[in-house]
Amino acid sequence: MATATIAQPKGRRSTRARGVRVFKWSVLSPLILLFAFLIPVFLLQIYFSFHSWTVYLSTWFDAEYVGLELFQEVLTEGRFWRAMGRSLLFAGLSTLGCFISGFILALLMYKPFRGQAFFYILFILPMLTVPVVIAYTADMLLYEKGPINGFLSYFLPGDLSKFTWLANPDVAIFTIILLEIWNWTPFVFIIMLAGLSSLPTEPVEAARILGANRLQIFREIQLPLLRPVIFLALILRFLEAMAEFPKTWGLIQGGPGTATETIPIYLYFTTWVSFDISKGAAMSYVVMVIMIFIVLTAIYVLRREKRALDALHETSRAEA
Amino acid sequence: MNRVQKARLFTIFRYAMLLIWSVIVAFPIFWIVSTSFKPDWEWHAWPPVYWSKEASWVNYRAVWGRTQSPRATSGEKVATETARYESHSANKPWQALWNSLYIAITATALSVAFGAILAYGVSRYRILSEIRMFQLLVLRMIPPIVVAAPLTLYYSAIHLMDTALGLIIVYFITTLPYSVWMTKSFVDEVPVEIEQAAEILGATKWQAIREVIFPLIRSGIVATFLFILILTWSEYLLSLMLSKVDVVTLPVQLAKYEGSDEGRVYGHQAALAVGITLPLMVIGIFIRKHLVRGFTFGMVKR
Amino acid sequence: MARIELKGLRKVFGRNIEAVKNLDFTIEEGEFVVIVGPSGCGKTTTLRMIAGFEEPTAGEIEIDGRLVNDIDPGDRGVGMVFQTHALFPHKTVAENIEFGPRMKKVPEETRKQQVREVADMVRITHLLHKLPVECSGGEAQRAALARTLITDPTAFLLDEPLSSLDAKLRREMRAEIDRLHEELKKTFVYVTHDQEEAMTLADRIVVMRDGVIEQVGTPLEIYNDPVSYFVADFFGSPSMNLIAGKVEGSNGAAAFSGAGIEFKLPDAYAGVSAGDYTLGVRPEHVVVGSQEAAFSCDVQLVEPLGKDTLLYFEHGAERPTIAVIEASGRFKAGERLNVTFDSERVYLFEPDGKRVR
Repeated sequence: MATATIAQPKGRRSTRARGVRVFKWSVLSPLILLFAFLIPVFLLQIYFSFHSWTVYLSTWFDAEYVGLELFQEVLTEGRFWRAMGRSLLFAGLSTLGCFISGFILALLMYKPFRGQAFFYILFILPMLTVPVVIAYTADMLLYEKGPINGFLSYFLPGDLSKFTWLANPDVAIFTIILLEIWNWTPFVFIIMLAGLSSLPTEPVEAARILGANRLQIFREIQLPLLRPVIFLALILRFLEAMAEFPKTWGLIQGGPGTATETIPIYLYFTTWVSFDISKGAAMSYVVMVIMIFIVLTAIYVLRREKRALDALHETSRAEA
Repeated sequence: MNRVQKARLFTIFRYAMLLIWSVIVAFPIFWIVSTSFKPDWEWHAWPPVYWSKEASWVNYRAVWGRTQSPRATSGEKVATETARYESHSANKPWQALWNSLYIAITATALSVAFGAILAYGVSRYRILSEIRMFQLLVLRMIPPIVVAAPLTLYYSAIHLMDTALGLIIVYFITTLPYSVWMTKSFVDEVPVEIEQAAEILGATKWQAIREVIFPLIRSGIVATFLFILILTWSEYLLSLMLSKVDVVTLPVQLAKYEGSDEGRVYGHQAALAVGITLPLMVIGIFIRKHLVRGFTFGMVKR
Repeated sequence: MARIELKGLRKVFGRNIEAVKNLDFTIEEGEFVVIVGPSGCGKTTTLRMIAGFEEPTAGEIEIDGRLVNDIDPGDRGVGMVFQTHALFPHKTVAENIEFGPRMKKVPEETRKQQVREVADMVRITHLLHKLPVECSGGEAQRAALARTLITDPTAFLLDEPLSSLDAKLRREMRAEIDRLHEELKKTFVYVTHDQEEAMTLADRIVVMRDGVIEQVGTPLEIYNDPVSYFVADFFGSPSMNLIAGKVEGSNGAAAFSGAGIEFKLPDAYAGVSAGDYTLGVRPEHVVVGSQEAAFSCDVQLVEPLGKDTLLYFEHGAERPTIAVIEASGRFKAGERLNVTFDSERVYLFEPDGKRVR
């Protein structure tokens, strides 16, 4: 039978395929409309970063065109780059801190033991607090005559009621890093706990039979299998830390001086305290470009690790 | 050392470490709860008062109570002592609570409803490619502060500034990546064959979804809803910038308890903070098994 | 009762993954057809196109003369049993079975009656109130059968329904499916990668490979008269001995040599031109301990299977040559034996896999 003769009208689309298309666009079109609604935001941002305007001037649409001057101002400003450095330091150290404490807790807890559920619930509480509440709580705790100093004065000599966690510029940044670690250790903890408990047990048992000790098993088997989970935790935590605002602002507004002024704080300060809208817009652009670069790198890594992760879920399900 | 001894040593080590961390976690929480019950002279006392002997509901009454109501002023000693802080407390927390509830629940419901439909389409018909799905994450990963200034101006221009709708829109957008990814991870877990079995037995697409898919992902949708509620409930930055008077939410309201001369009004802040945080913790503990999935966009399951 | 016609059926996934290439085939009314082949041969895709879950890239599917390409799966009048049983996990077995009639708005009284009937038919009445998780694999698959039966489809499509069951259950369910086909006399299209299932169940077997039909025939035709190396190798357990070598003609008679074998081919192959060939012979047609010898070799391994015994000979071929003999203690490993083949039952395959006829 000659198959070439079978009628196959061009452009015929079955009802099913059409149904899927209709569904697809009826879901996506409101989303696209919503984004279209927000396009002016980006146009405004472009406008302001090329025109010098602050709220002290009259109307925004007759602001002076200044070309790339604002960008130049931002890019050559020491304060901006110091803020960037501080943000990276803050994000880097807090991510590391969260990771170390979260991973250790997960390692201690991934096998069943008495009280596991209790500790789990207790340990996730910090991330279930409102960040700005943490700022105010920290203020009460770290106040010179607060309980932390009170507690430490039982052990340490000297009058601790004068020690300042927040007013000392050299200490303040580390104080907010500690806060971030307190707040988000649970995040790493739950991810690593899930990762550890979904590891297939057979490779570990095989390694034990082959004579590997605990440390070797951890280094050679568990760690490589956990790699995607570790990446995921580090990346997501780092990105969130780069955007941290409520705790730092609620607690010390980037002070003392500029000692804790990270990028989000400096942006907020420029725009809402100095009301230098144009400089804020130009700075936003610079930050956005840097962040998009970081985020795209992160997404590239995430895509790769997600595949490894799905494979891991597959094996542990097959085993179960 | 034999195996039993090793195991015993590890158990001791484990509990020791867990107890240390428990103290680190619990102490701040204990402190804010304890402060919320302290009378004002203990707020700044040295040495600090850990366990107040004069604990009372006075701070809660000052923050959450209606100051003009007869109960609060019925001759109790405490009412006069807190009177000087009352200027900033007149019913504002209740207004903020209502705003928070209204905005968070509406935005979350929209986000989850829309996210679930989108997630279904992605899971079954790939209406967004894998790369588009990852691009969606950019919405969440770029710090919102970078669009804040023009967004504020734009909102002012189109009269969305200081409105609930304005906040709902931005919360909807910033939580969409979570709702799509999280619900997709639940839909993915329902085997395609089950849906196809329903179809070949004569169910329409809609019947298959209503009878088979939805009942199977319902608990996942509830978890997603509660997870996103946590995010929107505690959001601070966008609310701070896009609200002035009318739609101040609870996290922003908290910042308004700054005494002008006597430092921060710790007791009242604490009472408000406990009120904000308590529902969050309850919800969080309720969906504790799904938190991992939420925070990792459904990439890590349990 | 349904006659299913596939005309020029083709399915391309993505840009250029051609799962099914131009399939023409008709499944007759009441026939039990098994589509068999290795994974990735396009058999499941074909079945899913008949069910309506995949859309053909080209070609037509007709059920009882009605073009169904644009008809939804639920309206094609076919029933499907899936590999994973696909029971609705949140519904009891009874609710699962009731689902089809309920979707078709059958009155409740009738529905209940039908549920009882089909449950009785596949003997799961005692499971009706249970949830799928509380059923064993075999019970769940019976429930899935019942769920399909109740809709009274004109044709049953079964996608490897037994592959997740253990060996004993598989045999039991196989008999069950066979019985159902006998009773219902409906069209069954059954997909599997297990040649044994195909041999025991099918009226006709369709062997697929790389998206095309390799051979169609009754189980005996397929077994005794394979058209290619692929089919010969795929059917039979233990599989056919296939020995690579050369054919040389001398004095009008062709002889096969290779891997230490010298074998005079029967007259039917006298006209074969010299060259590289593969000799095929089923284990039951290998003769051991005879006078004449295609080769002599030590018995490497004796594998008693109960009724039969397998003898393995390692003589330099790619795989050891296997002989099936009736069980007896006659032969021991290490013993040197003469081996030859039943001349009437040897096959010869060309290098491209086609059989020499």
